Amino acid sequence: MKVSLNWLKNYIELKSTPEELANTLTMAGLEVEEITTRGVIPSGVVVAKIVSREKHPNSDHLSVCQVDAGGGNILQIVCGAPNCDAGNVVPLATIGTVFPDPEGGKDFVISKCRLRGIESFGMMCSERELGISDEHGGLMILPADYVPGTPLNDLIEKDTVYTVEITPNRPDWLSHWGVARDIAALCGGRRSFPHMSLPSPEGFEDWSSLVTVEAQDLCPEYTARVVRGVTVRESPQWLKDRLEAVGIRSINNIVDITNFVMMEFGEPLHAFDTRFLEGKKIVVRRAADKEKIVALDGKEYELDSSMLVIADEKKPVAIAGVMGGEYSGVLPDTTEVLIESAYFNPTSIRMTSRKLGLSSDSSYRFERGVDRDMLENASSRAVSLILELAGGKLVSPLVKVETLKEEHPRILCHFSKITSLLGMEVPNMRMVEIFRALGLGVSDITDDTCLVTVPSFRADIRETADLAEEVARIHGLDKLPRIPVNAKRTVSFRSDAYAALEQLRDQFVAAGLYECVNTSLIDEKAALGDLIFEKDDLLAVNNPISLDLAILRPSLLPGMLATVKRNISRKNSDLALFEIGRVFCKNPAKYPEERDELAILMTGRAHPERYSAERAVTFDFYDIKGVLESVLETRRTADYKFVAAKDPRFTDGVCAQLMIDGKAAGVLGKLNDKMTKGMRLQHDLYGAVIQLDQLLNAKEKSGLYVPISQFPPVTRDVAFLAPADMENSTVIDFIRNARVPNLVSVEIFDLFKGAPLKEGTRSMAYTLTFRSDERTLTDQEVNEAHEKLRAKLVSGLGVELR
Amino acid sequence: MLNELLAKLDAVTAEAKTLLADAKTAADVENAKNKLTGRNGALTALAPMMGKIAKEDKPTAGKAFNEAKNTVQAMIEEARERLGASKVSAEAVDVTLPGRRWPVGRKHPVSQTIDECCAIFRRMGFVVAEGPEIETVKNCFDALNAPVDHPSRDPKDTFYFDDGRLLRTQTSTVQIRTMLAQKPPIRIVSPGRCFRRDTPDATHGVHFHQIEGLYIDHDVSLADLKSTLEAFATEFFGDSVAIRMRPHFFPFTEPSVECDFSCVMCGGKGCRVCKNSGWLEILGCGMVNPNVLRNVGINPEKWQGFAFGMGIERLTMLKHRIGDLRLFSENDLRFLKQF
Repeated sequence: MKVSLNWLKNYIELKSTPEELANTLTMAGLEVEEITTRGVIPSGVVVAKIVSREKHPNSDHLSVCQVDAGGGNILQIVCGAPNCDAGNVVPLATIGTVFPDPEGGKDFVISKCRLRGIESFGMMCSERELGISDEHGGLMILPADYVPGTPLNDLIEKDTVYTVEITPNRPDWLSHWGVARDIAALCGGRRSFPHMSLPSPEGFEDWSSLVTVEAQDLCPEYTARVVRGVTVRESPQWLKDRLEAVGIRSINNIVDITNFVMMEFGEPLHAFDTRFLEGKKIVVRRAADKEKIVALDGKEYELDSSMLVIADEKKPVAIAGVMGGEYSGVLPDTTEVLIESAYFNPTSIRMTSRKLGLSSDSSYRFERGVDRDMLENASSRAVSLILELAGGKLVSPLVKVETLKEEHPRILCHFSKITSLLGMEVPNMRMVEIFRALGLGVSDITDDTCLVTVPSFRADIRETADLAEEVARIHGLDKLPRIPVNAKRTVSFRSDAYAALEQLRDQFVAAGLYECVNTSLIDEKAALGDLIFEKDDLLAVNNPISLDLAILRPSLLPGMLATVKRNISRKNSDLALFEIGRVFCKNPAKYPEERDELAILMTGRAHPERYSAERAVTFDFYDIKGVLESVLETRRTADYKFVAAKDPRFTDGVCAQLMIDGKAAGVLGKLNDKMTKGMRLQHDLYGAVIQLDQLLNAKEKSGLYVPISQFPPVTRDVAFLAPADMENSTVIDFIRNARVPNLVSVEIFDLFKGAPLKEGTRSMAYTLTFRSDERTLTDQEVNEAHEKLRAKLVSGLGVELR
Repeated sequence: MLNELLAKLDAVTAEAKTLLADAKTAADVENAKNKLTGRNGALTALAPMMGKIAKEDKPTAGKAFNEAKNTVQAMIEEARERLGASKVSAEAVDVTLPGRRWPVGRKHPVSQTIDECCAIFRRMGFVVAEGPEIETVKNCFDALNAPVDHPSRDPKDTFYFDDGRLLRTQTSTVQIRTMLAQKPPIRIVSPGRCFRRDTPDATHGVHFHQIEGLYIDHDVSLADLKSTLEAFATEFFGDSVAIRMRPHFFPFTEPSVECDFSCVMCGGKGCRVCKNSGWLEILGCGMVNPNVLRNVGINPEKWQGFAFGMGIERLTMLKHRIGDLRLFSENDLRFLKQF
């Protein structure tokens, strides 16, 4: 909303500068976003009277004018405006006038020039060229009695205008009278109510059947007055200045007065021409379903029964509180007007405005709630101004139809609760002073409490916390003391829900991966790109912005694949990436609705920063497995293993399942062609998808100390030829289960196949480490154990010792 | 005898000088050393002469002998040093070649900011809480005192599902869940992803990350809030950052406050980023509205507290001078490597 300081001065004396006042208001919650000045005309612009106008010999649209610039100084001006007729008094920018560029660019300086061969000694100006309004249809026409040569700057009213942001809880600020109230509370001073005079009620006609309110739930109060014999004409300059300052176009005196009162008291009014009210009746009712009305904007709207209309006997003449009908408004030949001042149900107005996609200054105020106690004042103010500016005679009393008003709420205010909420000491009487300055009633003051009566314009104040806000606002938040911050414990800090995720991310970063954050909303095709999901598994929002952002990702793979593709297309080809994030599934048989997942993708060179042969090493299965193992070891996971697996997303034979505590926790392997189609990969792409709850809730190794042996180890090797499909884990498990005395570890140290070995076999070689906690082992006992194991391998696993 | 010795010492010293000057390799130096101070070296050979020196000349002779020996020794050392490098040249490394690094990764800047915020608030006694992203209207709006016809509920602004649930628009939902599950005192922060129906551009996305805080106890005040936020601002952006609080309006707090940080770009002098105001709007906050407390069964006569919320991406963009929100979800490696 825009607020004019000149307008405010009608009600209250402004003691501080516009900048200081703006800061005061901003710090009290009425945020001033912009300060502009109006009516500052560049020096050099003077009043001038056009003496003669002739057509330019070399142009169809230019004229050559002789202009009286004062002091007998007649200047020749070439002008392109349509209204540069002789006799008009206009603004003239004389030679040397400087127009600063509003965007901060280069100044525009008026100089003597030649236009199509004719000399011109200045420029006559439109309102837009002078920054007065957006009007640019022709020259600005000044009053005929302005004396040529007078600097225009001395004649135009100067004003400062604030653009303010009004929070939805403060509809009382949608008026100058309301803003002045807070200024009085903040800066001191008293507001004076505008003067108005109405004729005494003698001789009024009987209008008792003028208004019928059928839908009192949507219109708790409706008032009307009728003025007869008005003359519709242009508004006086002061009224135009006020409205233009706040961004409202002047239309005619009657319409301008209704807008003026709206901006003054925040009460939207409507003026009907009674000629168009059939039966001279106002019926406030719900619209019939599919009832139509053409509004002032020229568009037809189809209404329904949730909407309120102002109708006459036959047809709707206005969408109540939102916009008037096309043919019921004030026209140049209107002579009798009905002034409506009403209170409409805010929710109803908001819903109507939203459904119709139609909002106005009026609906904006009604939907936030206007001050019901000001309806009559607003009507009186408007009628008083009409009688003054449009003539005519008030012929009706205030016709009013209303439901019972709610009583003004009362709050028992505990001063100590306010100081406790604010954490600062404010004297009780200062609080009372603040309440009163804001127009709240205060009575029954004791040492601890007072009774606050809340006026109708402050529906946001209902309890002590609301009063605390008023004290904070007016007394000043800058006065809040600085106090030490304590770190008092409420619950165990170990219940921290994020620490585990934070740690896990750190662990993958430590393993050399870069973290990605991808979008939760993706398109269906991408979602189904993770081949384990079907359409029925996907959760879709029912009001997406576009189909590209319609599906909640069922897994992290689609986003991560897109990230890899994007990076490769940008020539970032060596990638080791991970993401930890929330994914969604509609099918509870597959997954819970929301879960956290981990995805890893690796492709390209493992060590791009190295040189020589090491540079060419690319990621393979054991790199991605190694990352997971490193993290599992870092986390001291007690029980995990990898088993060969099949998965529609991974290449057969290059795919494993991670088992944690005996349960499947995720899959890893080389992504197959179906998953990587169109990615322009230069190297194989390895991936892993792990369910986070399994990883985070895995059993940890015991933290208890295991004594370290003081005796030396003895090692023996064993090598054998095994079937090529015998897994390492089979051998390890076999040896572990063989209960070899003093055997503390088994590690593979060599593996090879091919010539000269038999087809279908491979050589496996293991180092066995023996060690006792109690004594130094003898060669003999180690050899015995070693021999026993070799024999068992042959008999139990069927391998051929080498 | 003395003169003979002195002459011979001079001769050996001169010979040493020639031999060592002629040495081209470390081996030459070692040969020269053998010829001079070795078992059969020229200097060694002079030692027996000392016995034959007259008693009164002995101090002079001894001094001269030692001087000669030291001089020769020093010349050998100097020559060794000069030619010694070639002795270890086979092991030499080019120290400017890249080392065999352990792989290095990075956390996403959004995660880094979340971590840092959590760390700061943890030090002030807050515990981090989390909750689901699919939420009920009750937890996201009703319980938070949002009026039934509040614009934020509109399907224009919020994503809904067929069953009437929604994607949370704020992590305040976690506050509601915590207050329902736990008795006061409560002191949490909740970071997480929130969804708004905004068309993606340089400063908007369909979702963003937020961190919200809640502190409920018997006597928590607006002054506590100010002090907490001031501590956060200076921990996060540095000691030179100031904060200011302006009254505002949010349905879930009363009094409601908007908290500005002095502009981290210009230091408060005024620039394009702060629209010449010197201040940046960073946080919405206030004292928890008594209605919110009642909605979760907490008696506002006994308990009171503050709540605040801010955008993680905004903090990150300010901290790292990132101009476009879309960079966060592109995950370009060249971007990720920078933070």
